[in-house]
Amino acid sequence: MKEIERLYDRIIQRVNIDLRELEFEVNPYVQELIPLVQMVKFYAFYGISPHLPPHFQFCNSNLAGSYFLGRCKVTDSLLYKSDIRGDELKKKGDLFRYLDYDMQVGDDEEIEIRNSLLIKTLVHNYSHDPETLEKFFITDTISMNYANIHGSPSSGCFLGAFATVDLTTMRNCVIGNFSYIQASEISHINIESGTIWIRNPGRFNFFYRHNPEKINDYIYVTPGAAPQGLFVDFIEDRKEAFQRIFDSVHIEQPVPVPNNASLDRFAVTKGQTHIGENVLVAQRAFLQNSWLGQGANAQENCFIINSRLEGCNVTAHGAKICEADLGRNVFVGFNSFLRGRPDARLSIGDDTIVMPHTIIDSKEPLEIPPGRLVWGMIRDRADLETNSIAIDDFSAIDSSASIGDLFFEGSGAQFISAFKDRIRHILQANGAFFNGSEQKGHAQKNQHISFNTIQPYPEGMKKGLFPTILIEP
Amino acid sequence: MIKWLESEIRPSTSLRPLVMNYIVKDLMVPISEYATIPEGSTLFDAIVTLGNAKVKTSGAIVPHWLVLIMGKNKKVLGKLSQLDILRALAPKDAVTDRIDEMGKFGFSSHFIARLRDEYRMKKSFLEDFYTNPATMSMKVEDFMQTITHTEFVDENTTLDTAANLMFVKNRLSLLVTCEDRFVGVLRLSDVFSTVLNTMREVSKNLRKI
Repeated sequence: MKEIERLYDRIIQRVNIDLRELEFEVNPYVQELIPLVQMVKFYAFYGISPHLPPHFQFCNSNLAGSYFLGRCKVTDSLLYKSDIRGDELKKKGDLFRYLDYDMQVGDDEEIEIRNSLLIKTLVHNYSHDPETLEKFFITDTISMNYANIHGSPSSGCFLGAFATVDLTTMRNCVIGNFSYIQASEISHINIESGTIWIRNPGRFNFFYRHNPEKINDYIYVTPGAAPQGLFVDFIEDRKEAFQRIFDSVHIEQPVPVPNNASLDRFAVTKGQTHIGENVLVAQRAFLQNSWLGQGANAQENCFIINSRLEGCNVTAHGAKICEADLGRNVFVGFNSFLRGRPDARLSIGDDTIVMPHTIIDSKEPLEIPPGRLVWGMIRDRADLETNSIAIDDFSAIDSSASIGDLFFEGSGAQFISAFKDRIRHILQANGAFFNGSEQKGHAQKNQHISFNTIQPYPEGMKKGLFPTILIEP
Repeated sequence: MIKWLESEIRPSTSLRPLVMNYIVKDLMVPISEYATIPEGSTLFDAIVTLGNAKVKTSGAIVPHWLVLIMGKNKKVLGKLSQLDILRALAPKDAVTDRIDEMGKFGFSSHFIARLRDEYRMKKSFLEDFYTNPATMSMKVEDFMQTITHTEFVDENTTLDTAANLMFVKNRLSLLVTCEDRFVGVLRLSDVFSTVLNTMREVSKNLRKI
């Protein structure tokens, strides 16, 4: 156990050094957050499929309960129940467009994690840094529970619980709890909790910050204690269902799945759940009494409960939908929390964009008309008035606007267009448009994945560390 | 009082030797003529002192830009510039703090100024802020810039070196010392005037040649 303790201390020290300019110390947040005995208890596992031949290298690391797909290298790191999903990495010969350049990728891209501690974190997509086309690096970084590192190389950073960094290279930054950042490149910045910031320099800049007092009801982190709040309780209440699927070697498919759809073996499905054509349900997703229409997807750490999604819906990583009816093409962004009640359902019209890290938690029936842009925190109809706008009206913004606590500068049309393009790309990548022969995506390619497990040393100085392992096709 | 030294008698075409002929003591404003207030004063005291303080330079009356906050034993504790005073007086609340923070997130200064104006329009009570007794009684210590060791210069330092210190350290003034005593203030405006006068002199001499 000695070596894993040393590794833990070393990672903390390195991140502290990188964040010294911001006068931020990570110790109070992560010291003893995970009892080291927990790190010995869980196996790690990796997927193999003809579409994704395995290229894994693990060295001097603990990988407890973590899942790996694609091509990745983990060195001197602790990964606790994290998903390292390398199924969207760039391939040798791909063209990467940046400004006016089309740059050719010289080699297959690899996720490289070094000197980092990732807790229940999702790593996905590919490096959007034009300077590191072949390497999606995560070094000297600590991420807390349910953080998303999405297409975002990171060096010397701390991500709070439920934080998301999307398509952004970050260096020496602190990202507060439940913050969503998509800003191309950031460095030496400490971002407060609950900040939603989407910036494309020269085109648009979108900024919203949740009310700190209200957000504390949902996620609250005090030094020396594990994250608390409604989000944590919500997940903990459903933890047992996952325990069963991780403990069993063979799992019967619990509901019928069309042959062009994919239900991951490590997803939970309960009650009367319908999986439509071209649907993708990723690992660690939780479905209960829900209808997923054609082309819908439920990504990692999603919860869809007593809800109906009509089709071509994106439910991004970590989003939660309860007691709700969603029309077609509704996008629900990362870590959003949408909760109606059995007697007060939430209804969202077609083509609506629910921004990442939005909270809709209403005790009264709430109906969001089609074609809206929705953000922030909405607990009743009055909140909906100040936290949503018709997409057409938003597109008409040509210089700047402030709506409630939302600040926007730039072209509304470009902002909406960028979002719509991205939603279309996500649906395409997930196989929503598969026509039987063309446009295959994850829903079709991820159907037949085999899983192998690996285990750490059970005793001695190296207890908890996994042996150095190299896995090639 | 500026002393013209012997070298001036001989026409010179080089600016540097002429400037080198001055030392800080020649140009500084003595502390007895400078705007100072004791620690514990209010921001209102500082404004009044600064408003009344003027120095006579080359026949012109020039206002001071700084007021110095003096501690016991005639030590300088800090300084307040006109800009510091305006900053201290700017109405502040959670909303204005957030608006000010927007610059960090890449919003344009034009957009930030517009947000500020819009907020002012909404909150008419802010107009009364400047005459609010609470504002008038704010203590200078809460807003002053503390003095760092890089702001001091010895009175016998050459003007050339002092000017170099000013632009390297980006200072509008330097505090002048004689041994351990604080004796005056060297202001950028005086340094600049001296350089300008010297340049004129050199130019005149060139024409004579």
